[in-house]
Parts: sequence; structure tokens; C-alpha cells
Amino acid sequence: MTAPGATRAPALGRAASRLLDSRWAGLAGLVLALLAPFVIATPYALSVMTSAAIFVMLASGLNMVVGFCGLLDLGYVAFFAVGAYTSGVLSTRLGLPLLATVPVVIVVTVIAGVVIGAPTLRLRSDYLAIVTLGFGEIIRITANNLDVTGGPSGIYGIPSLATSPVVFYYLTVVIVSVAVIGASRLGRSRLGRAWRFVREDEDAAEAMGVHTYKIKLAAYIAGAVWGGLAGVLFAGQLSAISPGSFTFLQSALVLMAVVLGGMGSTPGVVVGAIVISLLPEVLRDFAGYRFFAFGVLLIIVMLVRPQGLWPHRSREASS
Amino acid sequence: MGKSRIAAVMSLAAAVGLLTAGCGQGLLGGDSQAGDGKGPIVLGMLIPQSGSEAAIGPYMKNAADLAVEEINGKGGVLGRKLELKVADDACDAQTAVAGANKLVTEGVQVSVGGYCSGATLPTLPIFGKANIPMIIPAANSQELVDQHLKHVFLINGTGSQQATAAMAWITKRGAKSVALVHDNTSYSKDIAVRTQKLLDEPGGPEAAILEAVTPKESDYSANINNILAKKPDFVYWTGYFQEGGLIIRQLRQSGYKGAIMVGDGSVSEKLASIAGDAGEGVFATMTQTPDTLQGAEGWVASYTKKFGSAPGPYTNQAYDGVRLAAEAIKNAGATDGAKVIAALEGIDGFQMFSGPLKFTPDHTLSAGGFQILVVKSGKFALQDALK
Repeated sequence: MTAPGATRAPALGRAASRLLDSRWAGLAGLVLALLAPFVIATPYALSVMTSAAIFVMLASGLNMVVGFCGLLDLGYVAFFAVGAYTSGVLSTRLGLPLLATVPVVIVVTVIAGVVIGAPTLRLRSDYLAIVTLGFGEIIRITANNLDVTGGPSGIYGIPSLATSPVVFYYLTVVIVSVAVIGASRLGRSRLGRAWRFVREDEDAAEAMGVHTYKIKLAAYIAGAVWGGLAGVLFAGQLSAISPGSFTFLQSALVLMAVVLGGMGSTPGVVVGAIVISLLPEVLRDFAGYRFFAFGVLLIIVMLVRPQGLWPHRSREASS
Repeated sequence: MGKSRIAAVMSLAAAVGLLTAGCGQGLLGGDSQAGDGKGPIVLGMLIPQSGSEAAIGPYMKNAADLAVEEINGKGGVLGRKLELKVADDACDAQTAVAGANKLVTEGVQVSVGGYCSGATLPTLPIFGKANIPMIIPAANSQELVDQHLKHVFLINGTGSQQATAAMAWITKRGAKSVALVHDNTSYSKDIAVRTQKLLDEPGGPEAAILEAVTPKESDYSANINNILAKKPDFVYWTGYFQEGGLIIRQLRQSGYKGAIMVGDGSVSEKLASIAGDAGEGVFATMTQTPDTLQGAEGWVASYTKKFGSAPGPYTNQAYDGVRLAAEAIKNAGATDGAKVIAALEGIDGFQMFSGPLKFTPDHTLSAGGFQILVVKSGKFALQDALK
């Protein structure tokens, strides 16, 4: 169960890693999330917690692309935007309930994943990163200029999934939990092992008979669907969406959550996402200095723990 | 072993949850709406303090602080002091939603903020659900009006009022063929399209062209060529000052001799400095500002003395928003949302910078108070009050 490196660590570190490796950590996290509204249920707290949960979903989606498969994606927010806009347009123009838009959102995000992924995944590393960055901007500028997306002022009056913020929060937590578990299970499947193989050495994987292009496209599509579904929740929570919510900064923040938490580690990414989404709210009182303090804290974390807050430990006794 | 571990974790978490539920903010804590009756009346203001529009925040906050101080100096409202709580919306929907919820949690009774329309839109249902009236000082996109929400009041002039003012001046100048130029943002396009509709009515001046430019470019000669090909004798730019200054300069360089007018987003001394000499004599449609309002000198002086800088964009609207909130609470005799809304609807003739206030059924100003300014030696001065 424990990695060999951990046995050489001092006793305290060993206890800590055993705690981190515990299978119950995820369950404890879920219970914590479910009980949080009993501690504090002000509209502010619920809104912040719901945003954090949606951000967890985004980060776990990007983790499949960046963490599992090693494809650096700087335009992940494009899928978030596609999901949010698809559900927003369908629910406001056609009067559909938000839940009914989910199948369409899945189809549209899969198409978006293929359209964006098919040409770009022939590239590697830095080149891929730059092309994805471009696609992220294209989606945002398209949304800014189309009439059906409401142009720069966006779409408003999107129905929520639930009338009460508490119910919406619980619904979000349940959906996000399923998504996180799904991403984690996918990471341990045959496909997930192929992803890791591609991440470690693409040429070796190809030589061993892994169809790397298909495998990478699968990671991209899975990430796209996760991002799109997070977009539906986002639209439901805010009731109004505009291109301003889907900037490069948002992509960078999601990537930051993945790196901060520990690439490829499911609990790490969840913790990273919660930290990234809650920290600016905790620092709200600093007003103008908010993002300065945020940046300084991030630099400190990366200096002290470059492997991430909760790094991935390989279950196979290798590395 | 597994089952007992689960049980242990669950029961521990449950115990923690139940213990802290006693604090009163949790789901089991019951409704403890802060503050009806005693203590200060809390006004909430959601403005950009970080992000792209961060420069506007301090102006609006200072103006609101000034109004609160003046009202408290006169004994407050209903014998209670006013208190202003400010939250950052970063001109971003998600931050604005969190900020609005924060204000609701802090027991705000009237909202007097809202600058970016995109960030203000998603906060409407939040304040609405909490039965909090909103007096929006700056944001004025048509989407805010079109929802016909009972608790939303706009005290900035609307696009259609600005278009009407523009049309009045175009007619008065005797222009024949008008080019309308906008930057494709909702605010700018709205004014241009509404002006075009007014021009399209039979008789009077005609619309020559409706031209859209891409913001943040450094060369607009392609757009200028399109405009000049139609030989207009009047150009109306409805976007912001950065592009406006360049367009004015390039129009003059290309030999355009007719009149140029800009919308309120371009009314800034920066417009004149970017356009240089070409900016002289440019007209503008603008709401009343302390600079153009007679009798406001004292206000400008006290603002400058208190904050060490002159009033800026939307200071007067933010100031009026707080005063209007106080007036409505006073008339209602209570801070209850429905009563304050009724009081706001009933207000007639309350003196503001934009003139005596009476809301239309749409909860917008019955008169936008738009005037025509002109650039004289690098500064905007009053040309015509359009009365």
C-alpha cells in the first residue's frame, strides 16, 4: 500500500502519509461537505461553498487531461463555457428545465472536444499548450460576438436546478462527488493506465501497441464532458452568464488547482480546487491587495511543497 | 474493521456538526435576520474594487461615504444611523454573486451599488429573493430594465434617453446624413441602434451607415474609409474614450469636416488628449455632472476637501443613490423591502443631480437629464441643456 519512499520518512511524516493514503479520506471529505450547511448556512457561505464544489468538478476534469494523460491544456475553460452557454441558451430560448439540457450539453461538449482535440492532439507539450490557449480565446470571443449567446452582456434568467440554495448546494455536492469518483475510477481503468503510460513515455506506449492518438483524444473528450457539466451547474448557480466569466485567468486558475493539489492525484486535486476557490473569498477583506496576497500564498505553497499539497502515490511499487 | 471505521468517521462528523449547529448560523439555527428595529440601517454597495474596472470603485465608495456622513450628521433616518457595507464585484459575475450573498448575509436593507451590467445582472435574483430593493447608480444596460423586476430601480440615464438626446441635437444642428459608430459592446450598440431607429423615421436627417469597430485596436482607417464613403455630415460615436479619441483623430486626418459627437462613455479628458487638436469642437451626449450643474460647486468643494481628489465618473449617481435610499426609508417609515419599494415608486420631485426624480413604470428615470457638451481647449463644457 505505502510507497517505499514513505518508509524512510520520519515517524510523523509516515503517520501523515498513512492518513493521506487512507481510503476513508474521501468519505470523510464528503461527510464534511454534507454537514457544512449545518454549521453555517448563510446565503454567502452557501454561495461560496457551491462555487467551490463546481470548481472541484472543473479541476477533476482537467486532472484527467493534465494529471493523468500529461497533456498541458491552457484553454480548459472553453469546455466550461460551451457547457454553460449550451444549457443557458436551451433553457432560456426553449424554456427547457436545466436538467433536460444535460444530454445535449454532453453531446455538444463531446463534439467540441473532438473538434478542438483532433487537430491539436497531433502536437506535443509546449505547442499543444499554445494551441489550446488559442482555442480558449476563440470560444470566448465567439460568445462575445454571436447574437444567440447574447453578445457581451450574455444570457440572463437561466432557471436554477433548485429553488432553495441549500437544496442546490446538496445537489451540486452529490453531482460533483459522483464526477470526482468517476474521474478517479476512470484513472484506474485500462484507459487510465494507458493515459499514464502516454504521460510517462508516449513513444514507448506507441511501441507497446497503445493507440496514443485515440487515447489522448479520449482524455480530452472526458475532460470536455466534465467541464461542460460543471458549466451547467455554473449557469444554474449564477442564473446569468457572460463572456467575462470565461477568460484565460479562469483556465489558469483551474490548472493551478491541479498543480497545487498534486497532478494526477484525485484527493490532491480536490483539496487544490477548494484552496484556490476559497482563498480569494477568505482574503476578500484585503480588497485591492486580495490577489497580491493570493499570489504570494501560492508562491509560498509551491516553494514549500513543489510536489503539490497531496501528491499522487503510485499504487504499483515502482518509481 | 471497515464498517466500524466508517461508523466512527460518520459519528464524529455528526457530533461536530450538531455541536456547532447551536451557533445559530446553520440550517438548524433558525432564521435570524439581522437588524430590524434597532442598530444602524445597513446599505450595501457592490462595486468593482479589483479587476479591469477597479478604478471606478473608489469614486463610487467615496461619494456614498460622503452621503452617509451627511445624513448621519443630520441625525440619520428614522432615528437610526446609516451604515455602508461595500463588497467587491470585480466586474465579474461569479465574484458579484458571492459579494451579493455576502451583503445579504450581513443584513443589508437596501442595495445602492452596481456598475458593470454583466456583474449586476446575476445579483438581481439574489437581492430579489432576500426582498432587498436595489437602487442601481451606474449600470444601465437594457437587460436590467427588460426583466421588469419590482425591486430594481435605475438612476442612470438609459440608452433610449441618450438616443433621444442625440437625435434632438442632430436635428437642431440641421445635419442631413448621420454615420453611427459603435464598438459592439451591448451598451454602445444599444445607443447606436436606437439612434438609428429614430433617424429612420420619415423626415429629418437620415442614417448613412451603422459601423461597428473592434475595441483596443490602434488603426481604424478601414472603418474610417467605410464611413467617409457614405459622405456623412455628422458622426456619432457611442463607445468609450480610448477608441473614440483615435477615431476622431483619424476622421480629421482623412479630411472629414462635419460635426462629430460622442456618447457618455467617451466623456473624459483623456478623449481630448488622445484626439489632440482634432478633439476641439467635438460634441457629447452626457448626463448632468457636478461640472456642468449650477449650484454644485459647494458639493465638488466638500468632496475634494474630504478625499483629496476631484469627483470622478458616477460619483454623483452613487451619492444620489444613498440619499434616495434614505429618503425612501424615511417615507416608508420602515426598512421592510416591500414598503421601501412602494416608497420608491411613490417618490415625486426628489431633487437629484439629474433633476427632480420620478420613476417611470419601468423603474427608470422619467427624464434622463442628458445634455450636450462640447470640447473647449481640452475640457468638456456645457453646449446646450436641451430644455
